[in-house]
Amino acid sequence: MISVGIDAGSATTKAVLVKDDSSIVHSIHPTAFDFVSAAEKAYEDVLRVAGIERKDVDSVYSTGYGRNNINFANKAISEITAHAMGVYHFYSEVKGIIDIGGQDCKVIAVNDGKVTDFLMNDKCAAGTGKFLEYTARALEVPIEELGNLALASESPAGITSMCTVFAESEVISLRAKGFSKEDIAAGLVESIARRVAVMARQVGLKENVAFVGGVAKNTGIKAALEKELGISLHMVPEPQITGALGAALYGNS
Amino acid sequence: MPMPVGKMHSFKSLENIKNSYIERIHQVSDERKKGKKSVGTFCLFVPDEIIFAAGADRMILCGGKNDTVSIAEQYLPRNICPLVKSSFGSIVNDGCSGIKSCSHFSMVDMIVAENTCDSKKKMYELLDNYVPTYVIDLPQRPDTPEAMRYFLSELEKFRDAMEQLTGNKVTDERLKEEIRSSNETRKLLHKLYELRKRDPSPISGIEVLKILQKQYFLSPDKLKEYLRELINEVESTEPEQVHKPRIMISGCPMPGGNTKVPAIIESKGGAIVAEESCTGTRSFWDMVDENKDHMLALAERYIKIPCSCMSPNERRIDNILELAREFKVDGVVYYTLQFCHGYNIEKYKVQQALKKAGIPMLSIETDYSDSDVEQIGLRVDAFLEMIS
Repeated sequence: MISVGIDAGSATTKAVLVKDDSSIVHSIHPTAFDFVSAAEKAYEDVLRVAGIERKDVDSVYSTGYGRNNINFANKAISEITAHAMGVYHFYSEVKGIIDIGGQDCKVIAVNDGKVTDFLMNDKCAAGTGKFLEYTARALEVPIEELGNLALASESPAGITSMCTVFAESEVISLRAKGFSKEDIAAGLVESIARRVAVMARQVGLKENVAFVGGVAKNTGIKAALEKELGISLHMVPEPQITGALGAALYGNS
Repeated sequence: MPMPVGKMHSFKSLENIKNSYIERIHQVSDERKKGKKSVGTFCLFVPDEIIFAAGADRMILCGGKNDTVSIAEQYLPRNICPLVKSSFGSIVNDGCSGIKSCSHFSMVDMIVAENTCDSKKKMYELLDNYVPTYVIDLPQRPDTPEAMRYFLSELEKFRDAMEQLTGNKVTDERLKEEIRSSNETRKLLHKLYELRKRDPSPISGIEVLKILQKQYFLSPDKLKEYLRELINEVESTEPEQVHKPRIMISGCPMPGGNTKVPAIIESKGGAIVAEESCTGTRSFWDMVDENKDHMLALAERYIKIPCSCMSPNERRIDNILELAREFKVDGVVYYTLQFCHGYNIEKYKVQQALKKAGIPMLSIETDYSDSDVEQIGLRVDAFLEMIS
């Protein structure tokens, strides 16, 4: 049984090939403008690496923002269901998932790999990777360094705005007041952690919570979220590919 | 806007309703030429029976179109509900400058409003500058004898205002007739909803919604005619035997022009089988008692409408649970309009109650624009996958 999952995300397109439930190959491509050609490239990539031909693939399931545009997929499933399955594969005790991506933030309650409840942030960049991207820019630091900078702070600056646009101007005014980069970075990280923690509490996540999505790679955010929620977050080996993996496994089941 | 997939068939009687808008416009226009008065309403709390008994006609003026929202924003704050903005925009622009299906907004001699939520209440004050606006006050702790007495006195004042507008007396005889007629409509709607309890439901949610959106727009006779035809047709049609997840919508009204969320739900493969909404069960669920003093019977029936402006509003929670069981729903989509504080805040209580009953709920807060169609689609996909 060979199944492929394609996660057509807004920033990156991920493909995962699963053979007989065990061997897993993945590939990550920037999505750029064209969802379909990014998906094609990622698909060809995993086929090449796995040494498998297209005709031998039993099912292709798509997920992610562009899931309905992938014409070579047999079926599209939501990334919420896909992430739950993907994380469950790595971490079978999982009861909750926090997924912070570029465009949105999802909090999912899971039981036996199945979604039992979920929340997504509403129509706005608050609590997403975009928030970090914009505010890091106002701080003139690369986004990857934001987390480590934050960890070096001893008294985080208070960032009161949840709104990305207003937070950006708040950062500029804190800079003007002479706050250090570290303290502002810590303020930003705390602000996003607070926002996400509210959602996690609404869905009732308490233990065995996995942290996935592109932002999960950011250690500062992880530390701030753990402090805010009072639990330690479980990391899966490849947090960026759990959606594509889940789609592949869904097709497999 | 996505179209429902796997649609069973189209009902012929629904095709007829497509022409009903223009027919109704001609009807009201002719009536007015002959001196009949026409009033505009916004809300279930205004008893139709009194309007008709006074010999006037009525049309609902709730706006469901996005086009007129920006017109209203010249006068009203941006951060209020789209229904209020859309309605106001349609009215002040005198028939919406040629926007299709809008001319009825300029065809009323008086508006009969009601004090429900803050946005509407304050909007009515501005509306009075454009069309004479009569406001029925509404006690919002409905379960006290004082509230009943007060609401009855408000309805009596309203009856006098209608008599003054039309020059006709609202006799007991006329009221009795109109109550019987309205109850008949309610019974027909019950019959239609009864058919939706079948699994699979023989009619889509969008199809039912499109009729309910015209419930207070059409003349009662025409509405009943359409309902009878439709019920006959639905009763005699075999639905396709495909089980789809059964969804109940609960929350804010969806006035004519707004089918955004139901269209998404049904295009993703869900079947809407009930709506706990003003464009749903709230409008027809309870009858008016025909065997007691007519004004008192009206007051008793109307004050019990479980709108979120009422407090406490346990009646609504009980009703939602009862409907969810009766219609055997797999999940509830709690639908709210942005800035509708009543229904948005009440969501918490509804969610707790549904959780206790083991019924999954998805919450969608939105407006009339298409900007969030994709995001809502994702949530609906995930919800349907979750409950399937």
